[in-house]
Amino acid sequence: MALEPIDRDAEFEGELRQAFLRRPAPPSLKRRILDARSRRRTARRHHRMMVWQRLAACLVLAAITGGGLAWHRMQEERRGEEARQQVMTALRVTTRALNEMNARLAARKQADGE
Amino acid sequence: MTRDVTRDLNRDWQPDFERLVDEHQSMVFSLAWRMTGDRGLAEEIAQDVFLELDMHLAHIDSPEHALHWLRRVAMSRSADALRRRRVRGVDLWVEIEENHGAPAEERSTPLSARLEQLLATLPEPQRAALVLRYQEDLTPEEIARTLDSPLATVKSHLQRGLKLLRAKAHSTLKEFIRGA
Repeated sequence: MALEPIDRDAEFEGELRQAFLRRPAPPSLKRRILDARSRRRTARRHHRMMVWQRLAACLVLAAITGGGLAWHRMQEERRGEEARQQVMTALRVTTRALNEMNARLAARKQADGE
Repeated sequence: MTRDVTRDLNRDWQPDFERLVDEHQSMVFSLAWRMTGDRGLAEEIAQDVFLELDMHLAHIDSPEHALHWLRRVAMSRSADALRRRRVRGVDLWVEIEENHGAPAEERSTPLSARLEQLLATLPEPQRAALVLRYQEDLTPEEIARTLDSPLATVKSHLQRGLKLLRAKAHSTLKEFIRGA
């Protein structure tokens, strides 16, 4: 006896459900997933460590460069101060010499006048 | 009341990655295999889906959420793989059939194998809807949520897919359809 269309639909859907049962995953799949996860975590940790190391290296480099620049600037200032002191000393010596010269000239002028 | 209890239970739920793999690996693998027709590719997709789950584990707040997330991502990654293959011009489904690479105990009955072959010939959206409907036993509403598609579209894909599959089955599997 032929089945009614509705019965045939239900039967066909039943066949489909039977045909589309979940297939068991390969036994090695879980191990591969866990291995890949572990590898990825290690790689991520390694990457994170590399980032921190690079950051630390950058900070050290920045500190060294900054320190070098500051030291260089201090040296420049020190040298500038030394030069200024020398110029001041030279000016003082020159001033004293000129004063003495003026005093002598004044004394001679006075002697010539008398 | 029941919903509150469920919510309270879910609040205490902590995702256990290994357990989620144990519980859902065959579901993810089967979806990927039926969508791509390539066992090796399905294994790769399943692996990628679970690795992606591992990265999003903090955002998973219940077993139902995990199940829905896995289904959605498995379907999406399978579609991506099919798209990549199409771009590369690889002829899909050349190998699905005779269960290449499947261990003997996994081989399905001739009827199931034939229906799967026929499923493989359907357009991708119809195949996706039918796989979620008959493998995962989802309602059209759930399928629409999983595939991010409008409900009407899903219903149409289900209807057309079923009609097409039945027509193909009718011509090739007469012995299995009584009254035909």
